[in-house]
Amino acid sequence: MFANYLTVALRMLVKHKLYSAITVAGLALGLAAAILIGLFVHNELTYDRDVTDVDRIQQVLVTATLPGRAPEDGASLPMPVGPALKQAFPQVADVARVAAQTSSLKRDETLFSEPAAVADASFFRLFDWPFLAGARATALDDPNSVVLTRKTAAKYFGDADPLGRTLLVDGHLLRVTGVVRDLPPNTQFAFALLLPMDSPANQLPDYLREHWGGLIAMTFLKLKPGADADAIQAGLPAFGAAIPPIRSNTGEVHLGDVFKFFLVPLTEAHLHPVRNAMVEGTSPLEIGIFTAVAVLVLAIACINFMNLATARASLRAREVALRKVVGASRGQIMVQFLGESILLTTLSLILAVALVEMLLPSFTTFLGKPSLAFDYLRDGRVLGCLAALVLVVGGVGGLYPAVFLSAFQPGPVLKGNSGGSGAGGRLRVVLVVLQFAISISLMVATGVVYGQLAYAQGRALGFNKEDVVILTDLYGPDVRKAETLRDALRQDPRIVAASLAQSYPGSGTENNTGVHRPGATVDDGVVLRQDAVDFDYFAALGVPLLAGRVFDRRSAADTLSPADPAHPEKMRHGGLILNRAAVQRLGYPTPEAAVGQLLILPSNLGSAGIEMTVVGVVEDFHQASVHTAVAPQIFFVAPSPSDGQLLIRVKAGEMPGALDLIDRTWRQMMPDRPVPRVFLDAQLQSVYEREIKTGQLFAAFSGLAIVIAALGLFGLASFTAERRTKEIGLRKVLGAGVTDIVRLLVWQFSKPVLVANLIAWPIAWVAMRHWLDGFADRVSLNPLLFVASGLSALMVAWATVGLHAARVAATKPVVALRYE
Amino acid sequence: MLKLVDLTKVYRTEEVETTALNQVNIHIKQGEFVAIMGPSGCGKSSLLNIVGMLDNPSSGQYWFGDEDVAGYGERKLADIRKKNIGFIFQSFNLIDELTVFENVELALLYHDIPARERKERVKEALAKVNIAHRESHLPQQLSGGQQQRVAIARAVVSRPRMLLADEPTGNLDSANGEEVMNMLTELNGEGTTIVMVTHSMPHAQYARRIINLFDGQVVAENLRAA
Ligand SMILES: Nc1ncnc2c1ncn2[C@@H]1O[C@H](COP(=O)(O)OP(=O)(O)O)[C@@H](O)[C@H]1O
Ligand SMILES: [Mg+2]
Repeated sequence: MFANYLTVALRMLVKHKLYSAITVAGLALGLAAAILIGLFVHNELTYDRDVTDVDRIQQVLVTATLPGRAPEDGASLPMPVGPALKQAFPQVADVARVAAQTSSLKRDETLFSEPAAVADASFFRLFDWPFLAGARATALDDPNSVVLTRKTAAKYFGDADPLGRTLLVDGHLLRVTGVVRDLPPNTQFAFALLLPMDSPANQLPDYLREHWGGLIAMTFLKLKPGADADAIQAGLPAFGAAIPPIRSNTGEVHLGDVFKFFLVPLTEAHLHPVRNAMVEGTSPLEIGIFTAVAVLVLAIACINFMNLATARASLRAREVALRKVVGASRGQIMVQFLGESILLTTLSLILAVALVEMLLPSFTTFLGKPSLAFDYLRDGRVLGCLAALVLVVGGVGGLYPAVFLSAFQPGPVLKGNSGGSGAGGRLRVVLVVLQFAISISLMVATGVVYGQLAYAQGRALGFNKEDVVILTDLYGPDVRKAETLRDALRQDPRIVAASLAQSYPGSGTENNTGVHRPGATVDDGVVLRQDAVDFDYFAALGVPLLAGRVFDRRSAADTLSPADPAHPEKMRHGGLILNRAAVQRLGYPTPEAAVGQLLILPSNLGSAGIEMTVVGVVEDFHQASVHTAVAPQIFFVAPSPSDGQLLIRVKAGEMPGALDLIDRTWRQMMPDRPVPRVFLDAQLQSVYEREIKTGQLFAAFSGLAIVIAALGLFGLASFTAERRTKEIGLRKVLGAGVTDIVRLLVWQFSKPVLVANLIAWPIAWVAMRHWLDGFADRVSLNPLLFVASGLSALMVAWATVGLHAARVAATKPVVALRYE
Repeated sequence: MLKLVDLTKVYRTEEVETTALNQVNIHIKQGEFVAIMGPSGCGKSSLLNIVGMLDNPSSGQYWFGDEDVAGYGERKLADIRKKNIGFIFQSFNLIDELTVFENVELALLYHDIPARERKERVKEALAKVNIAHRESHLPQQLSGGQQQRVAIARAVVSRPRMLLADEPTGNLDSANGEEVMNMLTELNGEGTTIVMVTHSMPHAQYARRIINLFDGQVVAENLRAA
């Protein structure tokens, strides 16, 4: 019995090659897409699971609400929060903080920059990753210790045992106390080496280590067994309120009003995108979108299967009738057809797996997760998932054809009545409409995503990102040397401008301060972003001046006067530049009106404040991604900054020579540190990289959806052309010309596509409106995009159908009528 | 009206070459009623298809009026065909999905005739073959005789000068066959040229002239006394 089914099924496959090829190819493409998306989604959903008692670990996040700014979630917390939480909540068993930094490591006289992190000794108690060497429990106890990942150990020590060996990190000789296995593709940590919090190589300035105002360290809690995270969550507002206020001469800042702490289970932390995470999080929305795309692509492939199977039903009618005559029940026939569809799906799956194997390396490289694996041979669960996929897809695709085909009555079929070649036709049309509605919606969505990305990147950032080199993350003594470096570079004709600054656009760090007019109190003030810069900052970025002037080297009053520890009650003075948004926020009618005004910055040292004179106003420019609106902000010149970045604008076309000059000068002055040189445009690129990738992924999968839908239409058109040969021949006998026939067939297949547009447009409109709402600065939905998507779908339909139509129409009518 | 000179039709398939018509010479005048007879496979349908411009001959001439259409392409043939020729088939060849009315109307759809006039002419043609009361039925709801009447209505609704019928009575019982033959005779009386293939000697007797084919060649022509 079974052998007979199999023989028939295989013969049908071979006999109807076009149909089989279309069905299998469509399903294989759909399954391959689903597997790839499945791998991606599974990876995103399983971050940091490989830790003992993972359900007892919570990450503390913070919502920072600065007056006049939208609240923003962040992963970096003030350093004292962790220990204070342990004190405040007895349910907390252990706490661990970790903060990222970039360190320079030395190997055989060559310097390398590596992503590093400083962590509490408790870190490896919470994250008990397997150690390949060393004792996990004590690895971070000694301040001069360093723990390496396997890859880092191999890079610096080769095959030799690294344990106990020394390594020069940021100029400090440290001893390797452990080697941990490489970080998996699904962890929110990213570092090559880990240092103890009290390491001499910890770059954190001392004052920030106890400061409640700085957002520095990722903080994790391990709760006691049975402890309730919600109870801690409930106590967090009180905890925030109890933080000692930061004093200034005009008032007190209660950090509890600005920072709202909250807990997220470690396993869900990755799905909570925040600022300052080591690895960028993925929003559940994004995961939902990709899951939906996978389901939709599979649905389109399933529909192909259903349509082609029912369309060709008349070919099987005689077989079904005969089986029934010799005693087969309807159930048996359904089982036969379901079996066939499962067989077909299995064939497709084999092809899909091969396809995935082929695409996986580029896919994982593209995602930036090269260790992402598709382990179907060793991992039983993967195999189980694939089997389930086959059953679901084969079942869904095969059920309707099975019901449809098994319903044939033997009587009429055997009498020569075709048994309903027209039956099921309406459902087929509905399904084709559905396929194209999905395809068109995906096309529109892709168009909107791309439009928004192009807009975000192409829009006026407000500064010139080309030809700017940045020496990043300069601390302490390095800053003093950088000042000398800056002055040396300024002498060279290839350098347009060189300026130290606290941050650069896209760097992701920012500082804020309260500002108010003289005579008003802190409570009447506003919070503005502040950046300490130096004289050539605006020239280096190419930011246009709106009113007044930029900072002047020769004007001593432009530089902020240094604090005088002996006389804290003395007011400090300096010059100030506002951006356009700050002019509005402070309530000045025009940029010109702001120039010459006095503004007070409260000082947090319990001293008198700082009185600043506005010397100029510059145009708004984007410091962060264009997702957020430009923050109102102030710029001033700090006397001797403790940390900073050196921004260097190079004359257009002089980059190679300038780079050589910069590198050479750096090596002369700071031989112990690799030159931390980046390009501004590349840095900005990385801010949008993730979105660009999401867009590309989306485009690829929606393109695939259309290909599969077109494949199905091609099959259906070839079948219809075949089925209607007689009718078309007859029409020609009655006077229809070639054009009449082509028009007839093309119109038959255009109708469903046109209807699909009517369904797709409103759905895509609502969905993309919703998506765009997530951007502060966004494109409007262009109706042309909808029309263009609809037209492309129509074009695809015409191209696939037109081929058949032309062939059929050109055939001599006698061929159609011959077998009468 | 038409003249076939040394007309030959050869079918080539992968394995064999069949000469369906071999140097056929026939002359048919306007208003004639001609019956073509001969054993199965002798080339009757091939001849009718070529006369009906559904197919091209392999060689020879086909004069239709004063044009030799033997070498014409499908586009040109379609044009002449739709202005001049109507067809009736043994198996009726109605479209299952269309009603009786729509099947008949189909023959006018490609003629640039306004909808209102189309409707009148279809009704007229249906009345002529006594099937008007079934105009909204589907073909499968009709008997064979009724279906053939619909097919005749469809063939004449465009008022062709010539009607080609390939075994029009082949699938009908004798009463229905008789009726179809009477209709053809009536149409011929109104001036329509008719060429009919048949196996039935009695039905061939309705024609004024009988052409006998054997193995692709004309073996006899006999003119019946009027
Ligand atoms: N399209 C075709 N291809 C090949 N051979 C054909 C084709 N049409 C007809 N024939 C052959 O040509 C011969 C004449 O056929 P036909 O004209 O249909 O005969 P009739 O109508 O007299 O029975 C037969 O041998 C038939 O097999
Ligand atoms: Mg024949």
